[in-house]
Amino acid sequence: MIGLIVLSIFITLIILAVLIISNEDLPHSVILFMGFGLGSVILFFLFSAPDVALTEAVIGTGISGVVFLVTLLQIRSKEVNR
Amino acid sequence: MINIKKDISIETLVVSLLVSVMTIMLISLFLNFEVVTSSIGTEIIGINADTTGSANAVTSVVTYFRGFDTLGEVTILFLSIFGIGLGLEGYKDKLNIFAYENQLLKTAVDTLFPLIILFGFYVIIHGHLSPGGGFQGGVIIASAFLLMFLAKNDDFALNHKIMGLIEALSGASFILVGLLGLLIMNRFFDNFLPLGTLGDLFSGGVIPLIYIFVGLKVSAEITALVEYFVRIKDVK
Repeated sequence: MIGLIVLSIFITLIILAVLIISNEDLPHSVILFMGFGLGSVILFFLFSAPDVALTEAVIGTGISGVVFLVTLLQIRSKEVNR
Repeated sequence: MINIKKDISIETLVVSLLVSVMTIMLISLFLNFEVVTSSIGTEIIGINADTTGSANAVTSVVTYFRGFDTLGEVTILFLSIFGIGLGLEGYKDKLNIFAYENQLLKTAVDTLFPLIILFGFYVIIHGHLSPGGGFQGGVIIASAFLLMFLAKNDDFALNHKIMGLIEALSGASFILVGLLGLLIMNRFFDNFLPLGTLGDLFSGGVIPLIYIFVGLKVSAEITALVEYFVRIKDVK
């Protein structure tokens, strides 16, 4: 049963990864990237690695997503100014 | 007629073969899901409680059995933040990209900021008892500062002198603890404090001390990184 849950999360992660790469809208792609991080948090937790899950939840879903978004917004604001 | 040599390159074939083999292995692994046990893991868990006095085996691997690797990780993080600071120094100014007023965030952040800081220190201090530790707790503290940057534009400013002092002092004390272990017990990052009873807050000898220093250092560094990215100079 838990194997099927892990397998379905794994397939979702593959679909999300393809969507992240193929998306034209970059902020949209960053949001999908944060969703990818959330899926891998569940995967790490189910593989009995709660320490890694906590790290991924804070770094992958929190800080790196916000840093990507802020960088994108700043690049756009510069393009608008020119 | 498909010309295999022309239409499909060797790299594509090799990569697709590898991916399919890995997929089959992963699916077979997931269908009979069980915790994979190796001999070194069970051995470390077996001797963990007697040698380190820490309830969390991952923490004792990170700070005791592989303390030298943690020193390398902290150095890598410091160097990467140093590189980002070197590259973005000219762009740093007191101007925030999020210039609009968000009243909801502004009201909520005053309540949330101390709670997130408290949770970060909880994760750092309980690193030898529960999942988490210095790195995770430090990044949680930095995320509280990120919320502060987003909510209050120019009203919130960090004291860079104090931040640099915290970072330098905690990094130096981290290495000092390792050198004290070398001096007293003849091994870098060895335990020279009493172990205490397993599962208590004040137990585990030198491990909580190392994690407090690592947590302070990581929180100062990630806060500096977030500030470099959020604040930007107006380009004309």
